[in-house]
Amino acid sequence: MLKYIFKRILMLIPVLIGVSIIVFLIMRVFSPDPAPIVLGQHATQEAVEVWRQANGLNDPIYLQYFHYITGALTGDLGISYYTKMPVTKEIFARFPATIELALVAIMLASFFGILIGVISAVKKNSIFDNAGMFIALIGVSMPIFWLGILLIIFFSGTLHWLPSSGRIDPLLQPLDITGFYLIDSLVTNNMDGFKDAFRHLVLPASALAMYSMAIIARMTRSSMLETLQQDFIRTARAKGISEGRVIIRHALRNGLIPIVTVIGLQLGSLLGGAVLTETVFSWPGIGAYTVACILKSDFPVVQGVVLLIASIFVLVNLIVDVFYAFLDPRIKYSKKEV
Amino acid sequence: MKKFKRIAALVLSVALVGISLTGCGGPKESSDTTPKASDTLIYAQGAEPRGLDPAMVDDGESAKVMINIYDGLLKYSKDSTKVEPSLAKSWDVSPDGLTYTFHLQEGVKFHDGTDFDADAVKFNIDRQLPPQVTADMAYASFVYGSVKDVQVVDKNTVKVNLTAPSTPFLANLAMVMSAPIISPKALKDNNNNVNQAPVGTGPYKFVNWAKDENIVLVRNDEYWGTKALTKNVIFKFIKDNSARVVALNNGEADMIDGIDATVVKQITDAGNKIFQAPGMNINYMAYNTSKKPFNDPKLRAAISQSINVPEMVKSLYQGYSEPATSILPTFMEGYDKSIAQVPYDAEAAATAIKASGLTSVKLMTYTNPRPYNSATGQALAEAVQGYLSKVGVTCTIDSYDWTTYREKLKAGNYDICFYGWIGDNGDPDNFMYLLAHEDPSMNVALYKNPEFNKLIVKGVETPAGADRIAIYTQLEKMAAADAAWLPVSHAETLCAYRPNISDFYFHMTGVTPFVGVSKK
Repeated sequence: MLKYIFKRILMLIPVLIGVSIIVFLIMRVFSPDPAPIVLGQHATQEAVEVWRQANGLNDPIYLQYFHYITGALTGDLGISYYTKMPVTKEIFARFPATIELALVAIMLASFFGILIGVISAVKKNSIFDNAGMFIALIGVSMPIFWLGILLIIFFSGTLHWLPSSGRIDPLLQPLDITGFYLIDSLVTNNMDGFKDAFRHLVLPASALAMYSMAIIARMTRSSMLETLQQDFIRTARAKGISEGRVIIRHALRNGLIPIVTVIGLQLGSLLGGAVLTETVFSWPGIGAYTVACILKSDFPVVQGVVLLIASIFVLVNLIVDVFYAFLDPRIKYSKKEV
Repeated sequence: MKKFKRIAALVLSVALVGISLTGCGGPKESSDTTPKASDTLIYAQGAEPRGLDPAMVDDGESAKVMINIYDGLLKYSKDSTKVEPSLAKSWDVSPDGLTYTFHLQEGVKFHDGTDFDADAVKFNIDRQLPPQVTADMAYASFVYGSVKDVQVVDKNTVKVNLTAPSTPFLANLAMVMSAPIISPKALKDNNNNVNQAPVGTGPYKFVNWAKDENIVLVRNDEYWGTKALTKNVIFKFIKDNSARVVALNNGEADMIDGIDATVVKQITDAGNKIFQAPGMNINYMAYNTSKKPFNDPKLRAAISQSINVPEMVKSLYQGYSEPATSILPTFMEGYDKSIAQVPYDAEAAATAIKASGLTSVKLMTYTNPRPYNSATGQALAEAVQGYLSKVGVTCTIDSYDWTTYREKLKAGNYDICFYGWIGDNGDPDNFMYLLAHEDPSMNVALYKNPEFNKLIVKGVETPAGADRIAIYTQLEKMAAADAAWLPVSHAETLCAYRPNISDFYFHMTGVTPFVGVSKK
């Protein structure tokens, strides 16, 4: 098993090289010249040339890539063209916000998704099933930015229950220890901060969870329906095991593999930043920031973020694969254990 | 054993992701002040500032924060772009207009405790002059382009020598870009870039910047001038326009900007107030004067004559833009209300156009809303298309997003295009020079008139006063007679604030000084 994990980590290297080449080329071929954007409306042609030269944009493209990748290997992702800040600093200032939102959203989505899926499967073709699948249909088809704005208008604008934007009231901001406000406020015993951070999370996490929840609910339902048809379920029931135990211990556990795969994929994409949710709720995460940087042709930042997201996606999938072995002891990853 | 291995594997893989993520939580500096809501102003703007070093940025979002942290040698008066003393308590200009002597305020300290003096002024200007200036100092050549050198006369007197007389120089020194004076110690400590650690002499001190969230400032209790009324100021960044309105109505923000006509009712219905003031900008349509058919001024005038500008402006901007009669905003020196473009007369226009044989034109425009054109360039182009169809001219419209549009303009492949300008320094030269500029991304009409250019140079050199105003009035007349542009509108500034906020204002240069603003 450890050998398997090691192998999978080695596989990260070609993935990252491939991703870095693709994003490097795409940015340089399709993005407008960053120089006039960075230098502003009073820039002279001469200044533009000087700046391009200073930033290596006049070098042949393979040389530019070589400089970039050798820097990246030593952990230096370059300097943002627009803000002149190191890219790693810019990214890590925003990434905790994305992780916090993604984790809360995926927890919400998994809990409600599995719950709806299981009920729909067990009560197939009943009103519960229809209601559950109707919710799932709304979840996959409703544009997230529209849902977000509706939530803001209703819960903030009309009812005044929840804040409309941001991560926390700036006056309650906790000392920065991990970057996760829920944890930081708890650790520093800032209970008002914790409550406020939680209140700020409710709307964006709900909006973001909606789509993933719908996908998870649908997958749970179909996987459960299939498992409930199996002989071992009939056997379990024949043995007189209570229905609840049959569903949770026997059916759900056996049907979990595709559900966990979907949750893993959803988490991977949520960690890449939820652009629309972050924009609507002014959530200071990596997604909206990256889009802003793409529009400004800020090459170093975009390259850095894409590398980071690719790594996380691969690692999350690795966790999911390892998790399979727990859910289903028949799955083995090393020959010795066969 | 197998189970142990599996647990070990899971722990390892979770730890891997954990390690890759924990880098994210690197400790940031945090505020040691614990502000309270009652003595805190919260201002919500639509985007994050680029940075807080006046020499290194060019965006309006940065300016709104920087005006509160820094002072310049001069400042604009509250309701116009006339310059007033600030860190320079007085100044003399030599008769040849080449030497400016500034007498500085005494006893002023930067936020880091170091002294403000003539050396600090020299240090700040020198870093933006050759050989020290760098290509990414966006406004250095605009503000200090005419400066030859700076001499320290004594601790409180500094002399700036110019290469040629430049009357806009004084207005430039009141700008928030480039001109404010930064603590030389802070610049030395921060590798000549204080984007993240600004230190000025202004009414507020920088406390903390949570990226993409907010910037916190606290009152400078040792401020040399009139001290700020409110202890803390927080700038929040709320990108979505409707979310910003909800934040105001919900009490999460005390003041917001970047609103348009569509939300005014929603804001006033919630009991909040609207701040409305003339804007220092121009939204215009430009003819490509470099080639047929619009190298003919008569035909340009005929097209302008076919468009009912006041009607179009009213319908597009719902009363929150003022129809433009000429290039300069109404409050600017040189504006003369007697100057106007050729008046609307569709019949006369149709006759002239028919005689010329013109039947189709190519319009090029942008798809985004702009500060001077909230309805988008696309909507404006379509309105023009409507008017032209009535006089027998068919228009094709090519539209692009703003960044691509600016690239496309350089090729000059259009008959008519749409553009706009937001003034920098309140000087009429800053508007009129657009028609004399050699850069095709500025002078999109590709207008070339040697007489006009000569007068532009004369305007820059002539000392402020009646003679200079006459020059700009003359330039406005020439531009109207030649009809290279059809000035469309001046967008008004629209902001909103809660009823318990007093004395909030948004200056026409696009900044929000909070020194006199208070909250009940």
